[in-house]
Order: sequence, then structure tokens, then C-alpha cells
Amino acid sequence: MEQPIVQLQQVTKRIGKKTIIDNLTLDLPLGEVFGFLGPNGSGKTTTIRMMVGLMAMTAGEIKIGGYSIRTQYQQAIRNVGAIVENPEMYKYLTGYQNLVHFARMIDGVTPERIQEVIALVGLESRIHDKVKTYSLGMRQRLGVAQAILHRPKLLILDEPTNGLDPAGIRELRDYLRQLSKEEGIAVFVSSHLLSEMELMCDRVAIIQNGKLIDVRTIHQGGLDAASDVNMLFEVDKPAEASEIAAGLGKAAFRESDSLIIEANREFAAEFNARLVAAGIKVYGIRVQTKSLEDQFLEVTGGERIV
Amino acid sequence: MFNFFKLVQNENMKIYRRPRTYVMLGILLALIAAISIIGYFVDHNHNTSAWSMIMTEVMISYTLITVFTIIIASSGVADEFTSGTIKLLLIRPWTRSKILLSKYIAVLLYALGMVIVMLLFTVVLNIILFDASDNAAADIVSPLVSGSIAAYLIKYALLKYVSLIVTTTLAFMLATVSRSGALAIGLSLFLILGVNSFTPLLAALKYKWADYILFIHLDLTQYLNDTPLRDGSTMGFSIAVLAVYYAIFVALAWYVFKKRDVAA
Repeated sequence: MEQPIVQLQQVTKRIGKKTIIDNLTLDLPLGEVFGFLGPNGSGKTTTIRMMVGLMAMTAGEIKIGGYSIRTQYQQAIRNVGAIVENPEMYKYLTGYQNLVHFARMIDGVTPERIQEVIALVGLESRIHDKVKTYSLGMRQRLGVAQAILHRPKLLILDEPTNGLDPAGIRELRDYLRQLSKEEGIAVFVSSHLLSEMELMCDRVAIIQNGKLIDVRTIHQGGLDAASDVNMLFEVDKPAEASEIAAGLGKAAFRESDSLIIEANREFAAEFNARLVAAGIKVYGIRVQTKSLEDQFLEVTGGERIV
Repeated sequence: MFNFFKLVQNENMKIYRRPRTYVMLGILLALIAAISIIGYFVDHNHNTSAWSMIMTEVMISYTLITVFTIIIASSGVADEFTSGTIKLLLIRPWTRSKILLSKYIAVLLYALGMVIVMLLFTVVLNIILFDASDNAAADIVSPLVSGSIAAYLIKYALLKYVSLIVTTTLAFMLATVSRSGALAIGLSLFLILGVNSFTPLLAALKYKWADYILFIHLDLTQYLNDTPLRDGSTMGFSIAVLAVYYAIFVALAWYVFKKRDVAA
């Protein structure tokens, strides 16, 4: 496997006696949308601040593209585009002037590239207006624009869907997935919006109280034909249906008028045919996916921070 | 080096794309024009010397330019923190030192620009309105001074610019350390305008350590007509004291800016 674009190695941040981030180790490969999930105050933004060098680590090491953010800052940060917290821009400048400002700070961003990025985030009609006249959604787009100007290998977005309308969220999601798949860049997205992460990310790390709790892969798209999942069969005679399932070698769990069976697609079709043949009415067959939200609450114990 | 110039260009853009910069320039020019025009109408015999008007206006203008430069210097750093743009500014392939330096240079250029515009405007306006024939410094400033008034004005302007730089650096340092524009502007103005009016008192202190008080040395023009605020003080000593304060201000601003965790 090629070298991960980001390596967090035993990163720790203490402020006074309080440990904000505790021994966080994480690798991010290129070409993946990686979610960073945690409740408010869990240390997401602190981690991001350390990744971009805004905060110093107490211990540990962060490498981006193989360069240490502490000792080789300029080489490391060149690969990074980021929005940390809100997309704050210079309000008294126009959107275009803001982009020119950040373009001047990195070699090789041409005026054509600026135009390309403006078109990409869909701000053509308002780019020459002052930023103070922008809505939050437009500022968010401008924030994304400044982050991708220099074609970074790693895009870090802190709560990127804040303030976007549903259409904007969907657009951003599609765009991020496209960036990661087609240009092969790594996208690191933090959020406490679980459902959003589920749609956007390939993998999700869950952090709580500064500790990494879990890293999970999220299956995008359709069901894998061969693997077993929980299926719910809604029938009129659950007891009889349960016996038929047993005949096919599967244990069924009763849940009111339904049966839950861990099985694959082939079994579902076969079982359905048997039920119909036995004169049992089948009202519905559903795959029961545990949502990320359930998983999240499960691993964090649904604990309240405050 | 060419690339670093782009950073300064950015800082200039942030100064000159704001209307307030032109409001300040407008106020300065309007004040100078007002003094000259009032002088013109009061002066029925038409015997006012253009150069004495120029010297008065330059002195007043320098105070105003100091106030404006303190505002520009303080808000240049502090606004980045209060608006949160500092985060976007720092995550670029530039060291923090160079980013801070680019801001500092932009402020000094602003101060220089204001001074040059002010000098040109004052000299041209007053030579048009008043009689500029008497140009011996001895007649206009003090009998102790010799040479032409133009040479005196240039020396005066340069020495005032030195104190403007020290004052600006103080404001810049306060803004960098406190991250609050209001605090830095308020404190700098208080120190420069408030404490400065007690300078003769401070200069009269009998203690040895009073030799090293910044305010006694801030205005180097005291040596131009040989009237030092503190007995026995020389231009060289004053410059040395200013240099030490300057080095402390710069070191403090630089150290704090470089080390700080940005959590704005």
C-alpha cells in the first residue's frame, strides 16, 4: 500500500492539566473521503488545528505527504487546503479579491485556475460582489474555492455543510466524492451530523473526549449480494414462517408480527417462495441496516458531554 | 524575494481596499487646508510666512498621522484574529515570521506614504497662498538654528518619522500580543498622547533610571534646535534608547506571533 497522505502518530494535546487530545493515531490514504465524527467538544477542531499547524502538539507527530508539520511546515502545508471552523473571509473585499489574495500566497495558481474554481463552486454571478453581501452558503462555497485553488492533495473541511441548504449539501457531497475518486485526493471532513457523514464518507473515525474510539468503513451504494445482513420479513403467520426458516437452516427472531433473519439475497428469494407456497402472506421484506447514528450512539454510549 | 513582495501586496490590498483609509487621508488634507485657508483670511496684511505655516501644519499633521498609523497597524493584525481570517492566512506555505513581517512593512509604507503626501500638500498649498521669500531657518524656527528652512524641514520630517516608526511598532506589538484592536489602539494612543503630555515632568525626575524612559526620547526633533527635554541628554543617547525599546517591541511581537496557538 502506498504511503498514507496523512499520518497522525500518538498525537497528544494538553492545555494546562486538561488533556484535549489523547494519543490519537490515524492514517488517511489518498482517494478517500474520511469522516471525523464526534460530539461537540470532543476535540475535532483541535485535531484539525494541529493538522494545519495552527496549534502546537504537546506530544506526537503529524506528517502530511511525508513531511512533518512541526519541522517541515512549508513542504507539509503546501499539500493542504482547508477550512477551519467557519469560512471567514475578508468581508470588505470582493469574493474575487479574496481568491486573488490566497492565490498570491502559493506558486502556480494562474488567473485561469481562479476562474475554473469559481465556476466549479458556482459563484460566477456574485464573485465581484463584496463578501459582506454573501449568504452563509455563498461564504461556504468561497471557502471551498480558496481551499482547492492550489490543487491540494489533502482537503480538510471542518463542518462543511453548516449553513448550506439541502441542494447545496448534495452538491458539495457529490463534488467531494468526485474530487476524491477522480483526482485521487484525500478529503477529511469533520462533523457531528451523522446522517450526512453516512452519505459522504468512505470511512469514519469516531472520537470522544479526545480519544479515538473506532474507525469504520461505510458501505456506499447497494447491498453486497453475498454477505449476510439482517432482513426483516413482515408476514401474517410469524410462527409458521419461523418453522420454514428453521427448515432452511436459519434462526429467526420474532419481533411482533415480523421475523428478523440474518441472511443474504438468495435466501430472501428462496424463503419468500417457500412462504408463498405455504400460503403465508408476505407483506414486506426489508434490509435492516443499522444507521451510523445507531452505531455512533452505541460506541459513544449516547453519553452527553455537558 | 519576489514572492515575498506578493505578501506585502496582499497586505496593501487589505489597507487600500477599505474606505476608511481614504477617509483618514481626507481628514488629514482637509485639516491642513482648513488651517491654511483660515490663516489666509485672517492675514489681512499678507505678511505671514509660508514656511511658518508649513512648520505648524507639519507638526500638527504628524500627530494626526501617528493616530492613523496606530489604527492601521493595530487593526492590521488584530482584525485578522477577530474576524478569524488569521486561520486562512497562516495555513499557507509561509513562515509566520514572514507573514508578520509583510504586515509590518505594509504599515511602514502606509506611514511613509501619508507623510510624503502630507509634506507635498502642505508645502505646495502654503507656497501658493503665502509669501515664501524668507527662507532662513533662523527667522522662522529659532535664532539658534542656521541654514535654510527647507533643509530644516527635511531633517524635522525624518526625525519625526523615526518616532512614528517606534510608536507604530509599539502599537503593532500590542495588537499582536493582545489580539484586540481596541485595546492596542486605546493603549497606544493613551501612551503616546496622554503620557507624552507629562513628558516634561518625567524629564525633570531626579532619578538615574528616568534617563531611560521612552517618552523622553521619542521626539528627536528636540535636538534640532538644541533644547533637549532632559539635561545632558544627547541625540546619540536618545537613538540608542529608542533602538533598545524598538528591539524589545519587535522581539516580543515576533515571539508571541510565532509561538501562539491560534484558536480564534
